[in-house]
Amino acid sequence: MAEKFDHLEEHLEKFVENIRQLGIIVSDFQPSSQAGLNQKLNFIVTGLQDIDKCRQQLHDITVPLEVFEYIDQGRNPQLYTKECLERALAKNEQVKGKIDTMKIPLWILLLRACNTPLPRPANLYLYIFLEDSSCCCFL
Amino acid sequence: MENFTALFGAQADPPPPPTALGFGAGKPPPPPPPPPGGGPGPAPPPTAASAPSGADKSAAGCGPFYLMRELPGSTELTGSTNLITHYNLEHAYNKFCGKKVKEKLSNFLPDLPGMIDLPGSHDNSSLRSLIEKPPILGGSFNPITGTMLAGFRLHTGPLPEQCRLMHIQPPKKKNKQKHKQSRAQDPVPPETPSDSDHKKKKKKKEEDPERKRKKKEKKKKKNRHSPDHPGVGSSQASSSSSLR
Repeated sequence: MAEKFDHLEEHLEKFVENIRQLGIIVSDFQPSSQAGLNQKLNFIVTGLQDIDKCRQQLHDITVPLEVFEYIDQGRNPQLYTKECLERALAKNEQVKGKIDTMKIPLWILLLRACNTPLPRPANLYLYIFLEDSSCCCFL
Repeated sequence: MENFTALFGAQADPPPPPTALGFGAGKPPPPPPPPPGGGPGPAPPPTAASAPSGADKSAAGCGPFYLMRELPGSTELTGSTNLITHYNLEHAYNKFCGKKVKEKLSNFLPDLPGMIDLPGSHDNSSLRSLIEKPPILGGSFNPITGTMLAGFRLHTGPLPEQCRLMHIQPPKKKNKQKHKQSRAQDPVPPETPSDSDHKKKKKKKEEDPERKRKKKEKKKKKNRHSPDHPGVGSSQASSSSSLR
């Protein structure tokens, strides 16, 4: 997987470098640099061909559209990764909290509400559950 | 990692819940089976309030207890587990959330020429526009032939200022520590003009007293040969002055 990206990265770096050199030639053009300009133009075409070839190898890669928004705003796309991880962790904690609160107080409420002795299967159920889980501390 | 554990706490596997209504292997023996015909198999589960009623005690003791539905198995992945640890993303979390990530795009792509920190909407170079309005492409990229290259004949001379976008680079903050490191790493540090000037000045300073002495000696010789010889006292005075 990493080889595919390395390949694309290499081609993109070459392409960017060719564009930069083309920019230098064009920025102060001299008649003698016409041959170099023609060569660079053809390098760009071959560079585009190489990048296009990489597309076939990366057809299964999906990129979130939000990343493009970050890049368009001139922001570091790693910030998107950071925010995603933080959001995932926050949501994970939230769900964990919900599960814990739904699990433990229900037993407490149940035991408090049931002043009368529970039926035998219910007692067994409670016994097994409390033995397994860490809910004993709440009783 | 400390930050990560502080945020979420240590990974603790949830206790294995009972497999079927709390009667798993190695547990106390199940209650006696319900009497034939009396088992309310498909019956709706009674509520918590109705279950402990004294009137139904005998019936509840015999039949299955439907107070709670079966708890999810331990194999099922839920939010109660730390999913970042589960998917081995601690390294990524520490990398991106442990330290401050620089805000600008040029920090991510430092070698990319041009001013890339500006919003793409300014010069219609946004990736969003590329998706919304994809360019019309042919089947493939063909090399430019000789006759086509004739169209790329440019005017000689430099470009106007407003067209020189490639030369504009985002301002880079000077990092003193990095400078020191790079100097230490370089086997032969290149001489900066300021350094060489400084050395020259030092040499000049070192050479200055020698030159003065030579000049004075020459003067003395000249004076000795000259008809107006001042004498010993004056020469001593001059030597003493040179010592000063």
